[in-house]
Amino acid sequence: MLNDIITPFRSGFDPDAHTELRLHRNTRRAVGLLSGNLVSNSRTENSGVSARVYRGGVYGFAADSETSEDRVAAVLKAATENAAFMDAHAGKGKGALPLLPCSGVDTAKPYDDVPQSVMIDFARQLDEYIAANCPKLTGRTISVRCDSMEKLLRVDNGYDSHSLMPRAFIYLDFSAETDAGVTVELYDVAGGFGGFADNFTDPALLYPFVDRLYTRLMEKREGVYADAGVHTCILGAEVAGILAHEAVGHTTEADLVLGGSVAGPMLNKRVASDKITLVDYAHTTPQGAAPLPIYVDDEGTPAEDELIIDKGILVGYMNSRETAEHFGMKPHGNARAYSFMDEPLIRMRNTAILSGTDKLEDMIASVDDGYYFMTTNNGQADTTGEFMFGIPFGYEIKNGKKGRAIFDTTITGVAFEMLKTADMVSDRMDWTCSGMCGKKQPMPVGMGGPDIRCRIMVGGR
Amino acid sequence: MKYEKLTGAAEYALEALKNAGADKAVVTAFNGSTTEFNIDGGEFSLMRTIFNEGVGVTAYVGGRNGGASTNALDRESIDGAARDAVAAAQSAVPDDAWDISPACEPQDFPSGALECDRDAFFEAVKKLKNDIAAGWPNILIEQLVASYHYGASVKLNSNGVRFTGESGRYEVYLMFSAHDGDKSSSFFGSGVVFTDPTQPIIDMGSIRADLDAVSKQTDPKAFHGKFDGTLVLTPAMFGEFIGLAAGNFASGGVIIEGTSPWKDKLGTQVADTRLNVRFAPLDPAIVGAERVTEDLFVSEDFDFIKDGVLQCFLLSLYASNKTGFDRAKNSSWALVVPAGDTPLDELIAGVEKGLLLGRFSGGQPGTNGDFSGVAKNSFLIENGKITDAVSEIMINGNLADLLMNLRGISKERVVDGASVLPYAAFDGVTISGK
Repeated sequence: MLNDIITPFRSGFDPDAHTELRLHRNTRRAVGLLSGNLVSNSRTENSGVSARVYRGGVYGFAADSETSEDRVAAVLKAATENAAFMDAHAGKGKGALPLLPCSGVDTAKPYDDVPQSVMIDFARQLDEYIAANCPKLTGRTISVRCDSMEKLLRVDNGYDSHSLMPRAFIYLDFSAETDAGVTVELYDVAGGFGGFADNFTDPALLYPFVDRLYTRLMEKREGVYADAGVHTCILGAEVAGILAHEAVGHTTEADLVLGGSVAGPMLNKRVASDKITLVDYAHTTPQGAAPLPIYVDDEGTPAEDELIIDKGILVGYMNSRETAEHFGMKPHGNARAYSFMDEPLIRMRNTAILSGTDKLEDMIASVDDGYYFMTTNNGQADTTGEFMFGIPFGYEIKNGKKGRAIFDTTITGVAFEMLKTADMVSDRMDWTCSGMCGKKQPMPVGMGGPDIRCRIMVGGR
Repeated sequence: MKYEKLTGAAEYALEALKNAGADKAVVTAFNGSTTEFNIDGGEFSLMRTIFNEGVGVTAYVGGRNGGASTNALDRESIDGAARDAVAAAQSAVPDDAWDISPACEPQDFPSGALECDRDAFFEAVKKLKNDIAAGWPNILIEQLVASYHYGASVKLNSNGVRFTGESGRYEVYLMFSAHDGDKSSSFFGSGVVFTDPTQPIIDMGSIRADLDAVSKQTDPKAFHGKFDGTLVLTPAMFGEFIGLAAGNFASGGVIIEGTSPWKDKLGTQVADTRLNVRFAPLDPAIVGAERVTEDLFVSEDFDFIKDGVLQCFLLSLYASNKTGFDRAKNSSWALVVPAGDTPLDELIAGVEKGLLLGRFSGGQPGTNGDFSGVAKNSFLIENGKITDAVSEIMINGNLADLLMNLRGISKERVVDGASVLPYAAFDGVTISGK
C-alpha cells in the first residue's frame, strides 16, 4: 500500500490557486497461453507523484516517477510554474472554482496479489480442460489480466482520499473452421473487481463458462451472414451496456459537449423513448455495489450518481469542477486520471441503461424477422452520437423464434435517433467491467444494461 | 557521461537477474521527459511536464521466460523486478523457442531533436490554432495535444549485446469537427511527428487536406441502398487497412496458431502486382523510429510485400523459432508505400460509383479477413466526381480480396513523420445504407 509521504507538502500549496497532489501506483500482471504455449508472463509496476494547479482558467501539471522529498517538492513547483506559464500566455482571466465541502475518505483495502505461478497453474489447468473437451477448436488463447490502481490524493479544497481498485479477468479466445475452411472466432471474459484470488479459486468453476463459449462457437460455425439494412432487433444486455457507454455516455461528457458534441443543443430535450433511463453510477447501483466503485474523484469531489437520461429526456452531463462551473451544474466526481503521469479528465464510472418490465422471451416472440445481438467485441462512437459496435455473436429471429447463429457483423445508428425506437426493455440487466475506455488516457469503466428492442442498421453482405 | 546512470542501473539489473537464477537475461533501462500543451474546446487548457525512468527485465531459466518492469532505478526496485522476473520464469512452461539475440558490437543510436525548444513549440501551436481559426472558421478543435518527448535507453543482454540510444521528437495530434448551427460533422483526428518546431504545423502531414474535407461535412446525407463499388482510401486509411491485413494475416499469433489464410503464402502473390509495402523505420522521412527491435537486434528496413508477393511474416525471435520462418527485421510499424503513377484526381475520375473513405469505425476483422464497419468522414463518388458527404453508411469486404482488387495508387503521398503513404483505390467492396 502507498506510504503517505505527500501530506506534509500541503503547506506548500499556492494559496492563490487550486492544487491537487497525488501519489499513484498502477500494477499489471499478465499471463498468456496461445494454444498451450506460454507467450506472455510479466509483472509491471508504475508509480509516481503528480501535482495539478489551476490558475486563471488554465492548468499546470507535473509528474515524476521519483518520489523523494526533493522530487515531490520539484513536482509541486513545476506544476505551479506551468500554470503560471499558461496563465501568462493563454490565461482566460477566470477566478477560483467554487469551493467544495472538505473531508476525507479512505476506501483502500489490501488484496492478495498472487504470484505468477498461481495464475499460470490456473491457466494451464483451464487449457488442459479446453484441449480435452473442445475437439473442434483450431486455436485457443487464454489471457489472464490483473491490474490495480491505487491513489492517495491531497487537495487544497474538497475531499482527501485513498483508494485502491484491483481487477482480475480471464479472457478466452477460441477459433474454429467452418466446413468451407473459413476461420470463425469468439471470445468471452470472466472476472471483475478484486484480485485474482478473489475472482478465481478453482478452474473447474469456469468449465461451464468454457462449455458455453465452445457451444456458441460451434453454432457460429454453422452460421449465416446477416442481411444488410435496417431491422427490428434485440440488443442483448452486453450490447446495451456498450451503447450506454459509447454512444450516449461519451456525448454527455461535458468536455466533449464543449468540444461540440450532439448533446450540447439537446439538454432538456427528448433523445430517447420514455422507456430509456440512463445513469452514471458512482459506487452503488440498485443491484448493490457498482462494478468499479468510485467514492472520491481525482479533483477531490465526493462521487454521486449522475442522472443523464430520465425517461427519454436528456437531463445532465458528467462534469469536472471546471465544466460544472461553466454549465452551472454540480460536479458529481467524474474527473479521473489513469496513471501518475496523467491529469484528471472527465470519465464515466459505471454507466447503465436501467432495466424495464418486459420479459426477454416476450421480446423475442415479438420479432417477425430480425436479430438478437448478444455480445460485442468492439465499440466506437463519435460526438454526433453515431456509433458502431462489432457483433461477434447473435442469432437470427424468425417468426418470433431464435434461429441460426450469425457470423461477425456490425451494427450502427445515431444514438439519439435509434433510442427513440426502443419500445421494449427487459426486466433483467447485466454489468461488465473488463473494459478499458480510451480518451487520451485509458481508464477502467463499468457498463451495464438490459435487453432492448429497437430498429437498428445492420452491416452484411 | 550521458548514459552513466542508465548504464549503472542496467548492468546492476543484469547482474541481479543472474544472481537470482537467470541463465540468460535481457535488460532495458530508460529515462525520459515530456513537455505538453493541450487545447480543449478550442482554448488552451493545460501545460504538462513529466519525468519518468525505469527498468524492464526478462529472465530465461531453463528455456522458460518471465518479465517484470518498474519505473524506478534504485537498487531495491531493480532487485524486486529481477526476483519477480525469475520467479515468473520458474513458474513458466519450458519452451525451447525462447532465446535472446547473439553478441554484436556495441552501438549508440541518437536520433531526432534532442532538446525541447518550449517557447518556439508553444508559438508554433498557437499559430496552428490561429491558422485553423482563420482558414476554416467552421472548425472547432475538440482537443489538441502538442507534446515533445525525449527518451534515452541502455539495452543489454547476457550474450554481451549493448545498445544505447536517445531520441527526441515533437508530436501534434488534433481532434476536430465542423459546425454549422446545430449541424455538425463527425469528429476527425489528424497527427504529425516532426523535429523542427519553427516550421508551420498547418503545412505538415495531411492536416490541411483533413481540415478541408471535414469542413465540408456538416450536413452529411444518410445513405440509402446498397451497391458493390470502389473504395478510395485516404493515405491514413490505406495505412490502417495495411495494418489490419498485416496483423490479421502475418503476425506471430496467427502464424503460430496456423489460422492465417496467408500461412502458406510466403513467396506467393497476395496482392496486386503494383502493391509494394515496406516497414522502414530508417527511412529519412520517418522521425525517431525504432533503431533496435524488441528482441535487441539492430533494426533494418524490410519489404513486407514486393510487387504483390509476400516477402516475410511479422515474427519476433520467439515466433520465428517456434515456426521456422525468418524473424522480421524490425518491429516498428513505420509503413512506407511507394507512389503510384496516377494523380488522385484521375484515380477518382475513373470511379463510376464508390466512396472516398476518410475514417473507418469498425470492429477487428475476423482472422479470415472479413471486415465490416461504418464509413465516417466520407464522401460518395459518383460518375468520377466527389459528391455528398454521407453518414450512416457501412462498408463490408474481405482484406485479402481487397488487396488483390487494387484499382490504382496515387502519385501523391502524405508524409507525416510516422509513415509515407499514398491514396489507393480498391474495387469490389459492398457499400450499404439504410
